[in-house]
Amino acid sequence: MASPNGHRSVAPIEFPPPVDPAAEFIGPPTDPEDERIEVGVAIVGGGQAGMACAIRLLQLLEDDPELAESLGEVPVAVIEKGRVAGAHQLSGGVMNPSAIRSLFPEDDSWPHFGEVGKETVYFMLTAKRALPLKPTPPPFRNHGNYVVSVAELNRWLGERAEEAGAYVLSETVGAKLLVDDGLVVGVRTGDKGRDRQGGEKSNFEPGSDVVANATVLAEGCWGHLTGAALKGLGLAAGDPQVWALGVKEVWEVPQPLDRVIHTLGWPLRPQAKYKEFGGSWIYPMNRAGAQPRVSLGFVIGLEYADARLSVHDVLQEFKLHPLVRRILADGKRVAWGAKAIPEGGYWAMPRLHAPGMVICGDGGGMVNVPRLKGIHYAIRSGMLAAETIYSRLKSGSHDFSPYDRAVHDSEIGKDLYESRNMKQPFGKGLVVGGAITNAMVVTKGRLPGGHWATHRDADQPLMLTDRHERYPKPDGKYTFDKLSGVFLTGNATRDDAPSHIRIQQRVPRELAEAWTWMCPAGVYEVPEDAPDGGEHVDLIVNPSNCVQCGAITAKGGRLTPPEGGDGPVYQVT
Amino acid sequence: MSGILVYALHHDGAFNKNSLGAVSEGARLAGELGTECHAVVVGDPAGLGDELCASLGRYGARKVYRAAGPEGLAQPVVDAMAKIIGENGHRYALFGGGLLGFEIGAGLAARRDAGVCMEVTHVRVEDGKLVSERPILQDSSVTDVHYRSDLGVIIGRLNAFEARESGDASATVEDVQVDFEPHSLKAKMVTRGEQRGADVNIEDADILVAGGRGLGKAEGFEALEQLAGALGGAVAATRAVVDAGWYSYSAQIGQTGKTVSPKLYLAAGISGAIQHKVGMQGSENIVAINKDANAPIFEFSDLGIVGDLNKIVPKLTEAVKARKAG
Repeated sequence: MASPNGHRSVAPIEFPPPVDPAAEFIGPPTDPEDERIEVGVAIVGGGQAGMACAIRLLQLLEDDPELAESLGEVPVAVIEKGRVAGAHQLSGGVMNPSAIRSLFPEDDSWPHFGEVGKETVYFMLTAKRALPLKPTPPPFRNHGNYVVSVAELNRWLGERAEEAGAYVLSETVGAKLLVDDGLVVGVRTGDKGRDRQGGEKSNFEPGSDVVANATVLAEGCWGHLTGAALKGLGLAAGDPQVWALGVKEVWEVPQPLDRVIHTLGWPLRPQAKYKEFGGSWIYPMNRAGAQPRVSLGFVIGLEYADARLSVHDVLQEFKLHPLVRRILADGKRVAWGAKAIPEGGYWAMPRLHAPGMVICGDGGGMVNVPRLKGIHYAIRSGMLAAETIYSRLKSGSHDFSPYDRAVHDSEIGKDLYESRNMKQPFGKGLVVGGAITNAMVVTKGRLPGGHWATHRDADQPLMLTDRHERYPKPDGKYTFDKLSGVFLTGNATRDDAPSHIRIQQRVPRELAEAWTWMCPAGVYEVPEDAPDGGEHVDLIVNPSNCVQCGAITAKGGRLTPPEGGDGPVYQVT
Repeated sequence: MSGILVYALHHDGAFNKNSLGAVSEGARLAGELGTECHAVVVGDPAGLGDELCASLGRYGARKVYRAAGPEGLAQPVVDAMAKIIGENGHRYALFGGGLLGFEIGAGLAARRDAGVCMEVTHVRVEDGKLVSERPILQDSSVTDVHYRSDLGVIIGRLNAFEARESGDASATVEDVQVDFEPHSLKAKMVTRGEQRGADVNIEDADILVAGGRGLGKAEGFEALEQLAGALGGAVAATRAVVDAGWYSYSAQIGQTGKTVSPKLYLAAGISGAIQHKVGMQGSENIVAINKDANAPIFEFSDLGIVGDLNKIVPKLTEAVKARKAG
């Protein structure tokens, strides 16, 4: 494929990140045995999956003092890289309450913004016109579900876990998976206090080997150790994982929104060559006694082809539509954030266990893309992991393979199997893809059958168009630049820390532009004086802007965790 | 006596600018409360002459307590202030910005079981009591902090309190004998370095010439240094250029650098992202030079120049020099 300026077009995969995750992020314990931190179960990631796992485990251990005792002083530890549980959590988010209700059968005090009432799906025809789709297409029906903020929900879950006796180690990174003779035996936490070149500053603290009878990887969408384990322990599925990127804002508005809204169409381009698959959400966040709020965001699959596509700027463009303007009128933006979403579905789900280890939630690809749901899968998978680990440890075994079966037998496996081919048809363009997808929903996945394969997001050759000319110039009141969003996240990452983003910095212009436009946090910049022709450019990387969304891992780079405590501090996303 | 006691840090025969700001603020508040502002100094008596101590009177201190002890360390000051407050019943202890103030204030709060609030940007009098105002959530909101304890500890944000002369150099100087706690004497000053190795203290400069990515290359700072020299100011930088290695971290302004409020802030080739803005928005006059007329910096500049800074800055330097020579 030739690009407009005549040279061969480039795909991100041709410039892979300079890192071998299996070699660097997996290894045996290195601390002397008497200096290792011993815990019963080590859970990496304090999101919904990790906290649900901790809570369920402690529920089971409460009735089994003998096993609890055998797990030592710290039966359950949660290793969380954010400043607090919830600091790196972001979702749309509408939650199916089934899993949280079964985790807390007698406690319904979990924070939410009410049950979904009315709902409308619009097809955005143009920058001015929108067509409501009636009846509401089945995947978008949300009756019985609740609007939540996962940043808030997770703080609540974190408190419940601590009350139950979990040790939540926040500001702590799971940096390396400890594997001894084929058995996962824990994780090594990240160093703190290194300088830009990796040298030790005066406040340097080395990481520690945390050894455990069971290790739970509940790292979320881009999973640092999960990614290494998929490669190094051979757990990857036949299909590669693919991701979408979502950018979200929360607004305080004078008038409460009375419904859940989803949109398809504009400002995305329907032509198949652009591979723009996505849409928006607008959810009410109403709570008695508080100023009404609205959560809105835009999600686009990262297999897109246009190097100048920017999800953040598409969201700003989307806000110009009269439908959105009416909702946000006289309001004020109070939060912003971004997160990648695993969209590979059933065919991309990895094997969820290795000796001594299980994978939960988003890291295991447990997202139902057509239904835009994953929070309840995360909670459910955390619970199933806890139950399997409990029963296996009781019989003295580190073989957690029954967990895989349990996930596939649960609603998670069933739902994802039904929607297994849901996303791939959109590569054929919106109209044809939409028709195929509807057939799948109606027939619960029987038509069309078979296995529709996906390709890695980074395999997509890039084109340069004038897409960026449509993005509105930020006015700082209604439309915003990327950095003002980063500021709102509370991100004040130390500037002189080593870069946690592994990427080639001397790359063709298309690729440099693709990363620059893609990144919602302004991490990448093409130098102003960079050559315009076919020569490579020297990409500028500002790792301290990073909000840990994970998109770069999908599109040709490799994110690793920053120093513990760095990154955003989301409050209401 | 229910006065306000302010810690004044001195070094090499001069008081710290933030300490003078805190004394000025203490005097203003004491005036409103109908009480007095006192200062406390701790150090080698040889470097704390009567004249130097009494000079705090110019900023409104009525009395200066002088304690002989190790200089520049927190715990000895905690001992001295705890004793002075215990004997004289001060209602409030006030500190200007800076790490030492944080440490002393926290120690004093623990010692005297006092309420403490740090990063205070403004203090006001309400019903005969002081209320501290403290920005939270990246400065998006301001909270009021009231004190219930007998002693209220107020620790200002860096440069929050402006030094203002309001009296003459006639504060009474009173020597206090302090029996330091054994642990207070265990630390000793080994070396004294400027914070982050700064050779110019940009936080104290009245005029700052700041450069950003728009300079194009590291050498662009030479022109800024010449302009700063002509104006009698110092050079500052954005995070982007510090990251690029064009200028030292000690000169970085912004969210993850320093916060400044000079009389003149000249921003050359700085786009004005909010992360930079929060470090300099308190400047009295902001002048921006940028070739991009859409740069956000123009939205909060007092004077904006759209143009090529490589041409404008040298001409500005010449003009300033000519003006000063004439």
